[in-house]
Amino acid sequence: MTLDIIIENSPTFILAIPLLFAFLTAVLGWVSEKIGEILFGIGLALTVFFVGVMSFEVLTAESWFYVFGAESPSPENITSFFRITFIADGFAVLATITISITAVAAGIYSYSFMKDESGLNKFYTLFLLTLAGVNGMVLTGDLFNLFVWFEVTSVASCALIAFKNYRGRSVEAALKYMVLSTVGGLVVLFSIGLLYGQHGVLNYALLREGIAGSFTFLDKLALGLLAVVFAMKASSVPMHMWAPDAYGEAPGSVTPFIAVTSLGSLFVLFRLFFGVFSVGLDVAILGSLLIVLGALSMIVGVSMALVQSDLKRLIAYLSVSQVGYMMTAIGVGLATLRSGEGFGDLAMQGGLFHMLNDGVYKALLFLSAVAVIHTTDIRSLNDLGGLAHKMPYTTFFFLFGALSIAGIPPTSGFSSKLLIYKSVYLYSPILAIIALVVSIITFAIVAKAFFNAFLGPDQSLMKRRISKPMLWGMGILTVVLIVFTLFPNVVVAEIVDPAVEGLIGSLEGGLP
Amino acid sequence: MIDIVLENWSPIVFIVVLLLNVLVAYWLYSMGNPEYKKTKYSGDPFISGNRSPKDVKKLHVAGDNLFWGFKKALKRYYDPLIDGHTGRLNDYMIWVVITLAVVLIYLYLVV
Repeated sequence: MTLDIIIENSPTFILAIPLLFAFLTAVLGWVSEKIGEILFGIGLALTVFFVGVMSFEVLTAESWFYVFGAESPSPENITSFFRITFIADGFAVLATITISITAVAAGIYSYSFMKDESGLNKFYTLFLLTLAGVNGMVLTGDLFNLFVWFEVTSVASCALIAFKNYRGRSVEAALKYMVLSTVGGLVVLFSIGLLYGQHGVLNYALLREGIAGSFTFLDKLALGLLAVVFAMKASSVPMHMWAPDAYGEAPGSVTPFIAVTSLGSLFVLFRLFFGVFSVGLDVAILGSLLIVLGALSMIVGVSMALVQSDLKRLIAYLSVSQVGYMMTAIGVGLATLRSGEGFGDLAMQGGLFHMLNDGVYKALLFLSAVAVIHTTDIRSLNDLGGLAHKMPYTTFFFLFGALSIAGIPPTSGFSSKLLIYKSVYLYSPILAIIALVVSIITFAIVAKAFFNAFLGPDQSLMKRRISKPMLWGMGILTVVLIVFTLFPNVVVAEIVDPAVEGLIGSLEGGLP
Repeated sequence: MIDIVLENWSPIVFIVVLLLNVLVAYWLYSMGNPEYKKTKYSGDPFISGNRSPKDVKKLHVAGDNLFWGFKKALKRYYDPLIDGHTGRLNDYMIWVVITLAVVLIYLYLVV
């Protein structure tokens, strides 16, 4: 009985726990920073536990709606328009697993990396608020609730970026992020107003019914506004320019976590396209939009990465180009699923598997780059060199992440890119060629970064050693990547396929 | 149920083959001259017969020394691309507005 209650309410625990512990950390952290640290650890662990509970139930039993405010949080109570719903399906599982893996690694890394900073209770509070916000964005089934979590994520992650407020560049990056997020939030709110004015509902499922009945000009406007805002937050070209600033200047330990909030926006974009707007218009149009933005992101992201000499900015631009792969693959899936051409499933598998991979290897690359900067106080590839002599573990972690992002066999990055190449080629050989060329250039870029930073004679650049928690943070991500690398079929069958089924199901009238 | 999986690709087989190659490479390496003795120049980089510099920093190829030819050849592509990344918030917003306009016009025309 108790177990059933825990399972049924797990989506809400995933948000309630970090919110509660964010509050406790802020309040009790004043008494002692040690208490704040312990509360942060407990909050993070419990959140991950409930993500595990929800994931286990969805992957072994069934997806479900969680309806707030109803006598029982079951799907039949969705009829009230004001009841917020959460969607616990395969797609939400994939998203929350990706977020959780990164959060755990970044959290452990932060314990040691941030220890010399003051006001750590605020840091842990902001971390937990960001975790709650991004999980809320991917779990919610209600537009206004989406806006709330969008704002929570934006405000908390902006404060995280500016946490080292004695660095002018961090504050500048945070200001840019805040302005863009605020404008984005207002646009989302305006879109919600348009849709509510048209259909009188905010729930995804009910909204979809309304849009199916009549897709008006204002619906079209709302679709365009929402698409652009979430594409911007996902760092899609040409609205990507905030990302290298934010990723480059955020405290090193939370950089991958800030990056995963971008992935959260991408998850929301796909959820809205498949689950809400796919009934109102030809899905090939929505797919084409994603494909164009994706192809641009791949090309521009990798082109700009090639000319970077700052290690963190280089990885940030590579992450922009990886977003392009996901948008292209899901765009191909969306454009072809209803045409019955058969490779839409393959594209979706590739795109979503790549999202899972990207969350992990991008985090690994960022954390190992931060370890380099932390030990040497040098960010420029022009001044680094020979670190493999003194940092063997970090060298291995960086190499593994680099091979994965470049899609070199046998890494999991290759497995997901293989699915993308195959499916995208069947849709348009030119797109497949772009994806392949971008991968080759990505390999050249990470080879350059690896060579510059780690190879060559020892230059005695190390000023301090990296601590064990930092190594554990990177080690966790490496172990996850090794598992993904060795068993891609199992990952695809057990985690990715349910997510694909969730999205395709929403296209065909299932859970939105 | 989706039945498409990563057919014809097994990372474990790939790793086994890779390890076999490493074994063969080690076997070839072990057949080298066991009586080779290191001299004081062993391990130094070969710079067209010139003495290698004593400053280790001069032995390492730095970041900007790589791909400069690629960047030079694509100067006409790179100049506007880099100029477009100004770092100014106003420009970031302009790109958002431009994208918004293009997307809305696209949706208006095709839907």
